[in-house]
Amino acid sequence: MFKDLNPILHSQLRLAVMSLLISVKEAEFTFIREKTNATAGNLSVQIQKLKEAGYIEVVKQFRDNYPQTSCHITPQGIKAFEEYVACLQGYLGKQ
Amino acid sequence: MKEAEKPMTEQESLALITTMINRAKDVNHSTGLTSIMWGLVITTCSLVRLAEIHYDFRLPFDIYLLTVLAIAPTIYFSIKEKKQSRVTGYKDRFIDYTWLAFGISIFLLSFIMNVLFANLRPLKESVELATGTNLVGMTYEYMASFFLMLYGLPTFITGASMKFRPMLWGGIICWVSCLTALYTPVKTDLLLTAISALFAWFIPGLILEKDYRKAKKELGASHV
Repeated sequence: MFKDLNPILHSQLRLAVMSLLISVKEAEFTFIREKTNATAGNLSVQIQKLKEAGYIEVVKQFRDNYPQTSCHITPQGIKAFEEYVACLQGYLGKQ
Repeated sequence: MKEAEKPMTEQESLALITTMINRAKDVNHSTGLTSIMWGLVITTCSLVRLAEIHYDFRLPFDIYLLTVLAIAPTIYFSIKEKKQSRVTGYKDRFIDYTWLAFGISIFLLSFIMNVLFANLRPLKESVELATGTNLVGMTYEYMASFFLMLYGLPTFITGASMKFRPMLWGGIICWVSCLTALYTPVKTDLLLTAISALFAWFIPGLILEKDYRKAKKELGASHV
């Protein structure tokens, strides 16, 4: 177990969401759900946690009369993700 | 993926990050329609002009006006693609600006050529009498090379940045045709332009359209 790893990011689905969002400028909820194979309910909960941590921003809007949720990573999220990866690399280096 | 999972090891975390980054990289939301349309438009224009020269006839209008007519559908398809797109990549804006710059450059080149021909025409007869050289015809000979050089630029950049080999090779074909057209007569230049447009835009467009349909079908199936 990693004690120093960021607990917000050290979760399979949240880490998957952050890894996706670090690679793109913006992604819709349906795209994230498709790529992570998560259920809509579970994904909503994890996205909310990332939003509360300030790692992502969630924009809800209407497009052609249909609700649309899109997410993008924040500078704080990028920093946290980079620190998480650096931490992981540190652990791997020790082995 | 479920929330209450077993703790991940560092290898599993890194593997997950790599997998997700690769999945995001695979995203290509282009429908290929714009590419198919421009491939057809340029091929048609070149072949019709070739037929006009070869069979010695003139259409009542300039066939290259098709390129002006194709601008409106291009804008329509582009806006539609952007609206339908569920993800925006960092490269998207770069590619959009590259094609916009290409469009402006093509317009400027056409304008420069028109000004050049207009200025050369008054000299046509005197130069022909003095040297036996067809000044306008000679300038026309090199026109295709300029256009082919420009055709290759955004095509190659798009192919390389999207890691889409058919378009990358299409760009290279444009540049090979550009060099070849310097040494070939106008009719061959037009044929080379038609072939280049097919390889640079029409064929890659068909591949993109096929991939888009496949992705859409898979997405539809996963939502049942």
